[in-house]
Amino acid sequence: MTLTSYYAGIDIGSTMTKAVILNKKIIASIIGPTGPEQRRLANKVMEEALNKAAISFQTITYIVSTGYGRINVPFADKQFTEITCHAKGIISLFPKAKTVIDIGGQDIKAIKIDTTGKTTDFVMNDKCAAGSGRFIEVIADTLGVSLDKVGDLSLQSKNPAKISNICTIWAQQEVAASLAQGMPISDLLAGVHQSLADRICRMVNRLRVEEAVIVTGGGAKNRGLLKALSEQLGHEILVPEEPLITGALGAALLGREIVEKAKQNNTPLKTKERILEEIEIL
Amino acid sequence: MSDKQSNIFNTVENYYKDYGLRAKELKKEGKKIIGYICSFVPLEIISASGCIPFRVRGNIHEPITKGDTLLETIVCPYYRSCFDLSVKQTYDFLSGMVIPHGCDSMVRSYSAWSYSLPYSYFHFINIPTVCGESSSEFFDAELNTFRRSLEKFAGKAITNDDLARTIRIYNENRDKVRALYEFRKADPPRISGTELTMALTVGSSLPIGEFNTLLDQFLAEIGRRKKSPLKKGPRIFIDGACLDNIELIKLVEELGGNVVADTICNGARDYFPKTDVGGDPIDALAHRYLDKINCPKTYRENKTGTFEGDIASRFNDIGAYAKEFKVDGAILYVYKYCDPFGFEVPARKAYYQSIHVPLLHLEDVYSAGTISQLRTRIQAFLEMIG
Repeated sequence: MTLTSYYAGIDIGSTMTKAVILNKKIIASIIGPTGPEQRRLANKVMEEALNKAAISFQTITYIVSTGYGRINVPFADKQFTEITCHAKGIISLFPKAKTVIDIGGQDIKAIKIDTTGKTTDFVMNDKCAAGSGRFIEVIADTLGVSLDKVGDLSLQSKNPAKISNICTIWAQQEVAASLAQGMPISDLLAGVHQSLADRICRMVNRLRVEEAVIVTGGGAKNRGLLKALSEQLGHEILVPEEPLITGALGAALLGREIVEKAKQNNTPLKTKERILEEIEIL
Repeated sequence: MSDKQSNIFNTVENYYKDYGLRAKELKKEGKKIIGYICSFVPLEIISASGCIPFRVRGNIHEPITKGDTLLETIVCPYYRSCFDLSVKQTYDFLSGMVIPHGCDSMVRSYSAWSYSLPYSYFHFINIPTVCGESSSEFFDAELNTFRRSLEKFAGKAITNDDLARTIRIYNENRDKVRALYEFRKADPPRISGTELTMALTVGSSLPIGEFNTLLDQFLAEIGRRKKSPLKKGPRIFIDGACLDNIELIKLVEELGGNVVADTICNGARDYFPKTDVGGDPIDALAHRYLDKINCPKTYRENKTGTFEGDIASRFNDIGAYAKEFKVDGAILYVYKYCDPFGFEVPARKAYYQSIHVPLLHLEDVYSAGTISQLRTRIQAFLEMIG
């Protein structure tokens, strides 16, 4: 007989893999890069999270996978899109949230949510990944600045550059050319953040943006981007303590809801056998 | 599954995969096959001439290569794909090609088709962009020109009796398609969207008589079905242009949605309106093709003076289908660079809001390469409305 029920959420994004294990509250969360390995080895990520939580796989009542790689998690009992999961995760942290902007590695999503954390509308960038986290990575690399420094460095700028290209490759060339002409790195980074915020705003404003506005994903760790985004949106922006795990958190919470609903309705719970194996996709 | 069932489903799948298979056989028998594009070509006139109309189809799995050396990329990818396959000799069994003024791309590229392809017959049909008395008169004359041009090519007079006969056969065909749609009303529907759109896509590659026989068998088989091929799920409406590759519909159904109605060109837009019988056949055809086909290419005057009134009159067919087929949500699927639909997106969005049907707007490039991106959007939409 189990006394405590555990729920796991695993979010395999294009760049980062996240996992959360919770019962009444979060008991373990892990974040790591999605290499070719993680895409295939969701079991390793799960093992790591289990070790951290110091529980066995058998004690997990329900597992939900999400994110770009959600279909590559063979042991997940159910999969939901990251849109549904972010909405659920955010409402548990910010009960007044109405708009969520997730700035991920290769895509950006804006989600409108109701008070229960259900999605009411959403938009996503399509076809082109300019404006996502990858854009900043490329620019940071061009400028020789480490990714975790770009935000703070850009805040030192008094005269942000104008970056006119939207395409990542051309913007990279534009930045390289301006750098060669002696433009300060902080100005270039501030310009890049403004251009990025502009692109995000154009997409987000297709929805009716209402406060509280929460930003999640890797982009939420960049203070320069948040400042530019807040200014252009004309709204205050709130950020979760750990903005990377809200998708995995939402996934685990959705799992808990499914289990509770099944208990209430007295319906059997369909779960997979608890076997951790790597899958063969290559 | 009984053997018979697998037979008719296999036939449809074979014709779908090897699109033009039957047309090639008919060509060998000496028949003249006339290619066309768009729902505005009056097929009744082609069939009355003794030629066989054949809807030219694109292929989302085939990258557009040779076609792009002859057409600019401002043309929508669906149309470019149709052209690309044609210049790659996919449809060399055709004897001719008819292109209507279905959109600006069709007008501007008409000459490219006629220069680049080895067919012996080409004809352009000028479709008025507005509906009104003068348009009807003009379109009558235009259809008579088409009739004479086909008579010359086929070496056979097209009499009013010939037209009355083909009008009757095409109306029968539309009744059968409507009957097929009736099976979508059950929950879950007795026929999947994938099956239905595949069958209709295949039909446009067959002579109308054979299409009708195929529909009879298909209807009988679906009628005998004890159980739906789908599980209960959100009932989805597909709004858009020609969806001649079933991948999108298949994806929606894989993700648990049931596609139950549409406005697409190889669906309700084309198959629901019937031609009036009894009067002058050319008048009746002009009326059907110009007034009854509800396509964004046609400008319809706003008689109400308000935006709300305008969208209500332009899109009331959507509202009617949404009610009739008990739709839970709609997907507006628009090809990039499709001007007629592109211009209408904001008005269509407003209309869906006014009838309280949740909408997912997808813009796509007519390529199988975008399927995984579409997957996340569609799945999230189904999670949202489910």
